[in-house]
Amino acid sequence: MTASPDTRAEPQIPRGAGSPPRGRSRRAAGEARAGLLLSLPFLVLFLVFIAWPVLQSMIMSFTDMRISDIRTPFAVEFVGLENYRTAFSDPVFRRAAANTAIFVLLGVPLTITAGLAAALALDRGVSRLRSVFRIGFYTPVITSIVAVAVVWRFLLQPENGLVNTVLGWVGIDGPNWLGDERTALLSLVAMAVWRNFGTSMVIFLAGLQAVDRQLHEAAALDGAGRWQRFRHITLPSIRPTMLFVLVTTSIGYLQFFEEPFVMTSGGPLNATISASMYTYNQFGFGNYGVAGAMAYLTFLVIALVTLLQFRLMREK
Amino acid sequence: MNRITRRSFTALGTAGATAALAACGRSESDGAGTTAEEVAEGPATGTVTVWAMGAEGEALPELITGFEEENPDVTVEVTPVPWDSAHDKFTSAIAAGTAPDLAQVGSTWMAEFVGLDALEPTPESFAMDDYFEGAAQAVTVDGTAYGLPWYVETRLLYYRTDLAEQAGYSEPPTDWDGLMAMGQALQEKADAEWGIALQPGGQGSWQTVLPLMWSAGGAVVDEADGSFTFESAPNEEALAYYQSFFTEGVSDPAPAEGTTEQDFVSGRVPMFISGPWMMAAVEALGEEGFADQYSVAVMPAKETSSSFLGGANIGVFQGSENRDAAWKLAEYLSRPEVQVQWFELVTALPSLQTAWEDETVASNAKFEAFHTQLETAYAPPLIATWEQVASRFDAQIEEVCKNDLAPADALATTQSEAEGIGTGA
Amino acid sequence: MIERRRPVITYLVLTAFLLLVITPFIWMVLGSLKSQGELLQVPPTWLPEQPTLDNFQRLFERPFGRYFWNSTVVAVAVTVGNLVFSSMFGYALAHLSFPGKKILFALVLACLMIPGLVTFIPQYVLVVNMGIAGTLPALILPFLVQPFSVFLMRQFFLGLPRELLEAGRIDGVGEIAIFFRIYLPLAGPAFATLGILTFLGSWNNFLWPLVVASSERTYTLPVALALISTGQNQTDYGLLLAGATLIVLPILVVFLFFQRHFIQGIATTGIK
Repeated sequence: MTASPDTRAEPQIPRGAGSPPRGRSRRAAGEARAGLLLSLPFLVLFLVFIAWPVLQSMIMSFTDMRISDIRTPFAVEFVGLENYRTAFSDPVFRRAAANTAIFVLLGVPLTITAGLAAALALDRGVSRLRSVFRIGFYTPVITSIVAVAVVWRFLLQPENGLVNTVLGWVGIDGPNWLGDERTALLSLVAMAVWRNFGTSMVIFLAGLQAVDRQLHEAAALDGAGRWQRFRHITLPSIRPTMLFVLVTTSIGYLQFFEEPFVMTSGGPLNATISASMYTYNQFGFGNYGVAGAMAYLTFLVIALVTLLQFRLMREK
Repeated sequence: MNRITRRSFTALGTAGATAALAACGRSESDGAGTTAEEVAEGPATGTVTVWAMGAEGEALPELITGFEEENPDVTVEVTPVPWDSAHDKFTSAIAAGTAPDLAQVGSTWMAEFVGLDALEPTPESFAMDDYFEGAAQAVTVDGTAYGLPWYVETRLLYYRTDLAEQAGYSEPPTDWDGLMAMGQALQEKADAEWGIALQPGGQGSWQTVLPLMWSAGGAVVDEADGSFTFESAPNEEALAYYQSFFTEGVSDPAPAEGTTEQDFVSGRVPMFISGPWMMAAVEALGEEGFADQYSVAVMPAKETSSSFLGGANIGVFQGSENRDAAWKLAEYLSRPEVQVQWFELVTALPSLQTAWEDETVASNAKFEAFHTQLETAYAPPLIATWEQVASRFDAQIEEVCKNDLAPADALATTQSEAEGIGTGA
Repeated sequence: MIERRRPVITYLVLTAFLLLVITPFIWMVLGSLKSQGELLQVPPTWLPEQPTLDNFQRLFERPFGRYFWNSTVVAVAVTVGNLVFSSMFGYALAHLSFPGKKILFALVLACLMIPGLVTFIPQYVLVVNMGIAGTLPALILPFLVQPFSVFLMRQFFLGLPRELLEAGRIDGVGEIAIFFRIYLPLAGPAFATLGILTFLGSWNNFLWPLVVASSERTYTLPVALALISTGQNQTDYGLLLAGATLIVLPILVVFLFFQRHFIQGIATTGIK
């Protein structure tokens, strides 16, 4: 192969000054080699420890595998989409899917807004005590989930809980937050936002380093208001970060599990059961095939949502 | 390019995946069956690996120093396993063939592990007749014993004696109507907000409801053919009785979680049903002398007084490289005097009836009530899918307690869901 | 005037928010100094009525040094691995073109979306077959590369100008050297973030270390804590909170260490 077909095929691309065709091709080869070399260590470990187990689990979701089959994997039967049909026709799984959707639709925007607001305030708004606030806002992330569960249960207790005590001062008779079907899921959304906004805050803080401060100052001199500067300077520069936070928060919330697991066990009356938690229960019961199918249904939804987010964020 | 890469990748992965799964099967798995092999004579030698949960796992090394003295050539390696996710650890290990020689096995795991060919049947030389009936039944799957009952626990009625006095009761209730009446009396005359703390459905509520069914003469699994029998007159009667505590306003239909102990000590809810561990819990919370302000009583009866039997068993795992020594250790742990020593170490109630004759166990009046109840306490049905069936049952109990679902409808739904799940046989 | 008043309002809002946010953390620390009886009291107490170090004493009766060592080795190795491998791959994905790039990124991203539950058993069987079950490498190797990390690094490098690459080429810097000499030194903020998140994830990991351990010798702190604080039917809350408080301390140290890098940004490296 020579360099000439390449240059002939792409005549419309303007050449950089002083870069002959031969050099361009060699550079492309060098770039590809460098790319592969830099990727290789990650990919080797990735294929062995992640991709391969994933593949096995995918096969599992198309078989009638139960825990008792695990030592005789050849005895399992391929059942096609049967497990997926079982999952779809299970009313509890449908309820779990609906709960998860509500959780994501409420939780993701709140978490990102809170995280971004905290990051902006710490990056530009204040100059002193920055690290105090930064650590403070991050404590919910690092506090043990067990301690979190205990404290939140105290806070939300119907009789003596702090929340209802405060509501009582203004004459509101607060509900039994975790025991009432109507408020249980909302309580878990609040708890999840509280627990997770610190994570998006630290990511935004890193992303905000890419914002051009001179541009900000220049725009301010030209009379641009805070909001205008935020929209036209800050937001565009943190778009990759925003996409990252949006995607990972959505993925995390679509798999939400810990909050109902430690707080409500999915109750009352399945009001807080999530898709992941119900899947986990199926694993516990040894129904590997059905559990796998449920997990991959969750995956499909996540993939669609992510694709959509990539599309939306790439435009403009 | 894209397509080829993916296809060859898939082929590669599938081959690898099946190879890996095939390799994990135990070579000895042919030995699985219902014929028990005898234990070789002579002292135990070699290394025995043991898993035990939580506090038991931590106290076990002390208990087995006697065994190591009797068998100087043996080394016992105990790994304590946290209760949280212990089931995950066991099933993963069974799947990968890395289970220990001997382990503490939760009573609700027995049928599942036997179904996985994970446990060895108990050799004939082990006598099962001194165990409580319910305990011996708890290690027996399809007529074959797998392992030995280690320790037991059962559930009793806890009540505040001082408040009962105020309400006009000097004796605990003995039948169903009596329990309901006492709950109401406590509310009316002893300032109790609720008569008795009962779980309004949800995870684990079957452990209280099922014994009521037994008490009324019902059952949920047919002993003869192993089919589900949720729909029956006694079962309906028991569930309706449970429901009546909520409809009559004797029990809180939406209690805050984890407040049973405080509510008991404060007198807000002066009765509940639970196991022996609650004695230490309420006494730690109450003031000095609180132990004299409450008592425990056997479960009030319909036809019989029945309760739930829990606890743990000892199992020897298939494919153990040192099964002879493992069974010898099992034998050591099931001696009456060792069970008494175990009671002293971790307050685990002995599964052997003769162990209860010892002063250490017999001297406490409250323990005597547990002793009485143990004679009519039974383990949950030993079917591999029980946990799954129970979770559906729990959900229906919740509908009955919170949404006034008719008990007959709840049982019909549970029956059809249970049949859909099957017994895993 | 306005410029001066604004920070005050900002500080007030932030402080109010801060109090709201750190309450459970404070309660956890205070709770570790209470007895079981006090912890179960209704209504709950804020300050310990009879502060006691009993919970911590009971904790230190156990070989916590070993658990601490295990946790540290694993978390440090996992963090370093993620920083190194993910920044290399993330940079390649962001700025270099090579065959299969799009598919590889899609594959990695897809694995981020698959609930971890389903791969648990296959991963465990793999580790057993490799003969490393029950060793520390089994706790490290499967976590050295994580889709999340590579996604983060890719997004971060995308935010850095591509002109640096072109400039490096014109100066005759080799392709790989461009990464190590030009882009890597700018990755401070991203490393800080990724370092904190990976360390935290590894430090708190529970289920995998529990299942993989074949003896207590390879237990990590969360496993050991679960072992001593929860019985079959009851939880020793005092011990649990004391353990949770101790477990958090190293995270705070890591956070303090890494957070300096948030401030040192592109501005200080003089490229902008």
